[in-house]
This record gives sequence, structure tokens and C-alpha cells, in this order.
Amino acid sequence: MITLSIDTKTIQVAPDTNVLKAALDNGIHIPHLCYHPDLSISGGCRLCLVEVEGQDQPVLSCGLTAAEGMVIQTQSEQLTELRRGVLDLFISDHPLDCVVCDKAGSCTLQEYAYEYGLKETSYEPTVSSALFQDDNPFFLRDHQYCILCGRCVRVCDEIVGVHAIDFANRGFETNIATPYDGPMIDSTCVFCGNCVQVCPTAALMPVSRLQRGREWDLDRTLSVCGYCGVGCQIEYATKDNAIIYAQAPEHGAANGTFLCTKGRYGWDFATSPERLKQPMLRRDVAHKLGLTEEPWELPETSPLDIRNPNVEQYFVPVDWDTALEFVSSRLSEITESHGPDSIMGLASARCTNEDNYLFQKFMRAVIGTNNIDHCARL
Amino acid sequence: MSREKLDQIAEKEQARQSQFDKRIHCCISTACLSAGAGHTIQTLRDSVEAAPTGDEVEVVQTGCMGLCSRGPLVRVQEKSGEEVYYADVDSECAEELVAKTVSWDQAQAKQQKLSSELQTVRARLETARRKRSLKKHILSPDMPFFTKQVKVVLRDVGYVDPEKLEDYLAHGGYEALHKVLTEMSPEQVCDEMLNSGLRGRGGAGFPTGLKWNFVRREQSDVKYVVVNGDEGDPGAYMDRTVMEDNPHQVLEGMMIAAYAVGANHGYFYIRAEYPIAIDRIRGAIRAARRHGILGKSVLGTDFSYNADVRIGAGAFVCGEETALIHSIEGKRGVPRMRPPYPSTSGLWGKPTVINNVETFASVPAIIKEGADWYAQIGTEKSKGTKVFALAGQLTNTGLIEVPMGITLKEIVYEIGGDVPGDAEFKAAQTGGPSGGCIPNTHMDTPVDYESLQELGSIMGSGGLVIIDSTTSMPEFARFFMDFCVDESCGKCVPCRVGTVQIRTLLDKIIEGRGEPEDLDKLEALCQLVRSTSLCGLGQSAPNPVLSTLRFFRHEYEALIPTNA
Ligand SMILES: Cc1cc2nc3c(=O)[nH]c(=O)nc-3n(C[C@H](O)[C@H](O)[C@H](O)COP(=O)(O)O)c2cc1C
Ligand code: SF4
Ligand code: SF4
Ligand code: SF4
Ligand code: FES
Repeated sequence: MITLSIDTKTIQVAPDTNVLKAALDNGIHIPHLCYHPDLSISGGCRLCLVEVEGQDQPVLSCGLTAAEGMVIQTQSEQLTELRRGVLDLFISDHPLDCVVCDKAGSCTLQEYAYEYGLKETSYEPTVSSALFQDDNPFFLRDHQYCILCGRCVRVCDEIVGVHAIDFANRGFETNIATPYDGPMIDSTCVFCGNCVQVCPTAALMPVSRLQRGREWDLDRTLSVCGYCGVGCQIEYATKDNAIIYAQAPEHGAANGTFLCTKGRYGWDFATSPERLKQPMLRRDVAHKLGLTEEPWELPETSPLDIRNPNVEQYFVPVDWDTALEFVSSRLSEITESHGPDSIMGLASARCTNEDNYLFQKFMRAVIGTNNIDHCARL
Repeated sequence: MSREKLDQIAEKEQARQSQFDKRIHCCISTACLSAGAGHTIQTLRDSVEAAPTGDEVEVVQTGCMGLCSRGPLVRVQEKSGEEVYYADVDSECAEELVAKTVSWDQAQAKQQKLSSELQTVRARLETARRKRSLKKHILSPDMPFFTKQVKVVLRDVGYVDPEKLEDYLAHGGYEALHKVLTEMSPEQVCDEMLNSGLRGRGGAGFPTGLKWNFVRREQSDVKYVVVNGDEGDPGAYMDRTVMEDNPHQVLEGMMIAAYAVGANHGYFYIRAEYPIAIDRIRGAIRAARRHGILGKSVLGTDFSYNADVRIGAGAFVCGEETALIHSIEGKRGVPRMRPPYPSTSGLWGKPTVINNVETFASVPAIIKEGADWYAQIGTEKSKGTKVFALAGQLTNTGLIEVPMGITLKEIVYEIGGDVPGDAEFKAAQTGGPSGGCIPNTHMDTPVDYESLQELGSIMGSGGLVIIDSTTSMPEFARFFMDFCVDESCGKCVPCRVGTVQIRTLLDKIIEGRGEPEDLDKLEALCQLVRSTSLCGLGQSAPNPVLSTLRFFRHEYEALIPTNA
């Protein structure tokens, strides 16, 4: 471990830790826009300057490796002046329409402008790119808010491994683009939305949250994504009991700060009228079991082929015991009459590893067949 | 191929050259070519062929002779070594020159049957013999333009045929490489560089021996050497000239570096706008490979080395070493934070030496003549010579090589021959868009790294623009700011946005809309961009504005309505 001092606080960190991380992990805040703990270092935002004892010039803390005995100051008049100057340049190329911005309250640039008391830019406001791209149903790209921190580019390349976007053009004309600036759908993008999550500004926004409330209007519920066995932690932002958007929480045990497209955007089932909330038995079976009065005939077309929101026309809700009792008795009957190999099991990726293990054990040891497969192989 | 074989080639070439009574060198470097050197050399060749004693004269294509503003330049070299320079040699002048250079003694005349075209040329030569205009074209060898220069890097430039390895060998080429491979340890080579005091000619002036030592001491199975031939400073063409006009000299310097640091592979990074340099370097690499100078067993020793060319797409920032590395790696050419420096983690994460073309081109002479010889040229802290592309409002402009420590005054009034017309010398800009201007009140300043820095400028890579009294300094500064706005890579905000805002302020002031507080605002913004930008481009972009503000503030003030 390496011991250093930041703002008179003595801190121990692992070797090769950068000073910005060392500070943040220890509750000392240094402003930063391009740094993200899970991404490579960029050094482009120039905000994380600190003073290092023994060095004349301020140094970027994100690019500074902590060394034994280092003495760091994160606040000083000089640093405030420089950070203020840099922020002033940032906001000269950014619409200051926070009063109507959906990101207000969770925008990092706004937070720093507030912290450093920048009501307006002292330069000639000049927005570099007015490009507005809403070419997909999941997120939109509003370039006038983009501060070119490059987090989206790095997350897409380094974490998602897709590299659908990168910097295009140079200097003041730089913007984030897909190859040849084609529509998102024609790029290699998998719409995981991790770029949206790491974006500090309103340049990348989930479509679902537009004009549906700002950060302080939303409630947050921590949950586990139901889509697969990985068990990513997920945070639902809701208002009046409706989901506004989903994102990864700060430190999910399985997923860190990232999610895939299903967890992030595929939550409309939660409030869908089609959603099944309890087991159901087909009407003819239920009648045979004496659960319903009226007899019922299976129509020509299989109910599985009919996409009908009114499932109750075909099915009767039952309790779990009844449902399980029925399944187990039918399995026993079929095993006895046709042999165990007349049954096959198809496991689901939505179950955990443990569930899947138990399922194949059940098929082999209880039913007595090796006919078992998994949907992930289909 | 062994050293002996190369010596034989060199001797054969020297013998071939000494057959000729006279050799006519014609510069075919870019500046002369654009002044019509293509026609000149063709006329020289035809005329020599048609002349009665033409086989005693050889016409040689060479590189830059320096006085580019007077091109096409031609030099006649006698067997005795005596030389005469001719300026502005158009076809007509070339005929007269040949007519007066060859002997018309019938006894020596060769027996030949002239084709009808050559008969016409012969007839023209007969007429040209009687003309009297050649004198006007002669440049006096006593011109300060020539006498004030000290040629180390450019010594053979303008003499050797850049497309002939034999000619380079005949001029002592690859002797230095052979010397280090057979007589010196890598450590000794690095020490020799340290002792010579050679500092990087790419702009920053970092001691070359120190850099090589860093890389030499790194433990790594693979190391690289990179020649920085990106030369983005507008108007500068020192590196292009050396690569075009004596490519083997750069290759030799690079190979000596490779041996010194333990590298077996290297790259020339050359901007795409330099197609001739690319061709010549590639040609040099091919010729060197054919002759066993490059490859598995260099000059018969157990040192192996290979070099390749990588072409840059012409972004100024790709001259910055980390951006250059990204560009060679096939990534977007943007700088990254240092450390780690390329000497520890460079190309593909391996220890890498990156030096400027001129730095490498200085190396063979240092090895051959010795560090002490080199260190006696120049000043205490800036040793050796520096090549400048002298441009702007001067009588003589072109490529010059001067000892470090020469004063600006000597360059402007003696080498440059003063500002033409009624105007006066006002300031000199060194370092291009990254540098600053030095006003005429400081013209006794010695040109060395420290003195220029004290004045708020930099040595830079060799751009030297002379400004006369008719030029407006705020507009001059805006020209360079425009350049930086265009060339900023956009990675960091002070440079991406700051340069645009500096230009906006300059526009406002120049267009007469300035307010009194704008000058302080401009200065503060320049300081901010300088102290917070990521790479040298942004850090130095404000220099032209800051230095004109420092020395010519009154010109800015005069533009502000309330002060006017
Ligand atoms: C914006 C920028 C442009 C540069 N362009 C060049 C260039 O064109 N040629 C060059 O040799 N060095 C250039 N440099 C300097 C290089 O980064 C590097 O310091 C140099 O190649 C090292 O070689 P030297 O030690 O021989 O000077 C540039 C630096 C910056 C910041
Ligand atoms: S949604 Fe995912 S794949 Fe698409 S650009 Fe963003 S990070 Fe890359
Ligand atoms: S879109 Fe967002 S994350 Fe990407 S560069 Fe712009 S501000 Fe940064
Ligand atoms: S200073 Fe300019 S050129 Fe250098 S990294 Fe920053 S934006 Fe790019
Ligand atoms: S966080 Fe260090 S430069 Fe952006």
C-alpha cells in the first residue's frame, strides 16, 4: 500500500492508483468530467487539476499515479481560478437552457457551474454543433449539449467492445459519430445504452424520460434485472408508479455500472396488461379437475397461436399448489405410460445457474432422461 | 555487404566523377522546380550533349543549395574544387552557361553525329557563346549569404544526387554507421551524443544523448526508432529538404540511434504532402537493403535493422510524439498525457526513440568528426548548427544553416540582405504557430534555445519569418491563431474552445469593435489556454498573441476605438 496525503487527510491506496481515484474513494471531491472509474484515462476535460508539493505547476490528478509520501492539495485560489476558467470555456459552447433541460439536477456540468458560481459565460457563446439525431427508439443524441468528454466512445469500445461511435472531424468541429455519421441502426451499435448512462450531460438521453420529470421528481428503486441469470442490479427511476427509465446503480455486484439493452430498455412488461401474475390452467383441464362448472372445448386453433390479451377466455387462474400438483401428476403418468425418454426439458436463460443445475438434476434423477437442453443454445 | 565492397563502390564512383573536367550541379528541389528547374536541367543536359566537348562535363541533379528566392540555382564545380554559383538560371541562361563552360577547342572535340534536334541546340550554343548576360547571374562566393553559414546538416545537400546511393557513399556515407558498429559500444554512442551537446531539433531542444540513454536502459525485447518527418510548421521545409535531398543521411542517423538503444526496427513518419520525400526515403531504404546496409546483417556485422515508411495525413498535431505514435498504430492521431513518455512506453507500448529529421541528420557528422568538434560550434548550452527556412520580407530567402548563437541581426542584414524597398525590419517570428516574435529592438539576441525562450518565443523546428514595418502585428498573430483553430485536435477544451475564443476576440479587436478591457481579457485567456492545454499545440498556441501583446501592445491599443 502507498500512503499519501490529500488535503491533510492521510490516505492509503493500492500501487498504481491515480490520485483522482484515491481522492474520490476517500470522500474528497475533485471536479472531473472525462474521468470514469471503469474507463481508460483521457485527460481531456482539464478540470481535475491539483497541486503537488514540490511541483510548480498544477497537475491533472487523473493522470497522476499516487506515490509514497505525496502531498496533494485539491483546493486553492489558483486551482479555483483555473477550473473556473476551463468551465467558462465549457459553458461558452453549451446552451444554458437548464430551466427546460431534462438533465437538470443530474448534469455534472450544471453541478460544477453551480459550484464555481458561473451564471453565464464571459466569452461569446458559440455552440459548436447543433446536430440533433433521434434515429432510434431508445436514446437521442443532441450534440449541442455534448462536451466531448469521450466517455461514450470509451465505454462503447472498452466495456461493450462494439466501438460503434468515435470522434469525427477535429478541433471545434469535432463531434461524436457513427461511421460516416450513418444512422445508429446501421452501425454496430447494440443499443445497450451504456453510453447514455456515462454521459455527464444531456447529449445522450433515454427517449422514455423526455419531459416526464426531472431528477428531483423521480423515485428510485433498486432491483435485480429479471431477464437473465447474471442478476445485474438495476435501478428504476419512477414517477407516480410508472417507470421513467432504468439504469445501472453505482456499483452492482455483478454488473458494475453497466447493463445490456434488455435490462435497460425492456421494462415495459412490468406494467403490461398481458403480464401473467399467477399460474393458469387451460379451461378444459380445469373442468376435468372439477375446478370450473362449464365444460369447454379446445378450439381448432391452438391457444398458443393466438395472441389474445384476454387470456382468461382460455385459461383459469389457479393457485401454485394446484398447478404444481397437476404438472407432477401428469409427468408421473406420462413417464409410466410412455417411458422417461418421452419427456424433454428446456431450461431457460432467465433462471440462475443454480436453478438450471437443479433442473437438469431433476430431469436426470427424478424423471430419468437425458433429454435436456437450454434456450441459450437455440 | 561488407565494408570493403561499399568502399569499392565509393571509390569507383569517385573515380567516375573525377573523369569530368567540370560538373554542373542543378538544384531540382521543390522551390527551384517550381521556378522552372525542370526546364533548366533539361536544357543543361541537351546543351552538354550537343556541345563539342560535352563528355568532359557532367550534369548532376542535386538538392537545395539554399538561396531559394533566386532559383533555379546552378553550381559549376571545377576539378580543383573551385565553385561558381549561378542564380535565376532559365533555359536561355543555361545555354549560355554551357556554351561558356565547355571547351570549344576543336582538337578536343568528340567525334559524333548530331541528330537534327541536337544540331539546332548546337547552333543555339554558338549564338549563346557571344551573349554577355551570364555575369548577371553569378553569385559572389563572398556573399554573406554563403560565408555566414556553417554547414553540418546540409553539408552534402546540394552536392549529392539524392537518388544515387553510390554518390552518398562517394561522399563518405555510412562510414559513421560502420564506425559505431565496429568500434563503439551502444553506451559510447550515447555518451558521444551527450558530449556533443546535440539537442532535439523538433522544437523542444531535449538533449538527444539523454533521450537515447533512457531508451537504451529500458529492458525490452522490442524497441523502436521513429523519425519525425511530419513538419507541420507552415512555411518550414528544412526536414523536407533533408529527406528529399540526402535521404541516406537521415537513414544513417536513424540506424546509429537504433544501434545505440538496441532497436531493430524503425519508422519514418512523413506527411502525405511530401510525396518526393516519401519516394526518396523509400528509394534510399530499397537501395540500402540491396546493398546489405539494411537487413539481417548490417554491413556484415551481427546488428540487424529494418525501416519502413508511414504516411501521415497532414495534421499538424500528428507531429506531436504521442499523436504520431497513435497515427502509426492506426488510431486517431490525438495526443495523450505524458508520462509515460515514449522512451518507456511508445510505439505499441515499447520503448521508442522519436527524433526530428534534422536531429538524426546531425548524427553521422558528430560520429565522424567527434563530439568535441561539434561542441565547439554554438554557444555554451546550445551546440552545433540550426537549419532555418528563412522567409518573409527579405531580399534573400531560402534554406540556411547557421551556428547557434548567431545574432538575429546577422541573419537579417547579412544573410538575408535586409528588407527590400523602403520598409524596415520590424520583427522576426521563430517557431511558427508555437513561437513568438522578436522585435528589432532585440536583434542582438543570440539565436539559442534559452535566449529565445526568455523573449517568449521558441527555437522551434526552424521556421523563421521576417516581418517588415508594413505588417500589422495583430493580424499576423491572427494568422497563426487561425492555423491553431484549424489544427487543434479537439481533445481538450482549452485548446478546442479557447483558441476559437481567442480568435473571436482578435476579430473583434481587428475589426475595430474592441473594448478597453478586451486586451486584458485576451491576455488572461491566452494564459489559461497555455497553462491548461493537454499538449504542446494548445500550450504554445497563444505564444504569437502573447508575444505580439508584449512587444507591440500599442498596435492593439490603437485598434480600440476609445484609445484611438
Ligand atoms: C503540436 C506539435 C507539433 C509538432 N510537430 C513536430 C514536427 O513536425 N516535427 C518534429 O520533429 N517534431 C514535432 N514536434 C515535437 C515532437 O513532439 C517531439 O518532441 C520531437 O519529434 C522530438 O524530437 P527531437 O528531440 O529530435 O526534437 C511537435 C510537437 C507538438 C506539440
Ligand atoms: S448503445 Fe451501447 S453499443 Fe450503442 S453506441 Fe452506446 S455503448 Fe455503444
Ligand atoms: S455524448 Fe456525452 S459522453 Fe459522449 S462525449 Fe458527449 S458529453 Fe461526453
Ligand atoms: S492541446 Fe489541442 S491539439 Fe493538444 S490535445 Fe488538446 S485539443 Fe488536442
Ligand atoms: S478528469 Fe482529469 S482531465 Fe478530465
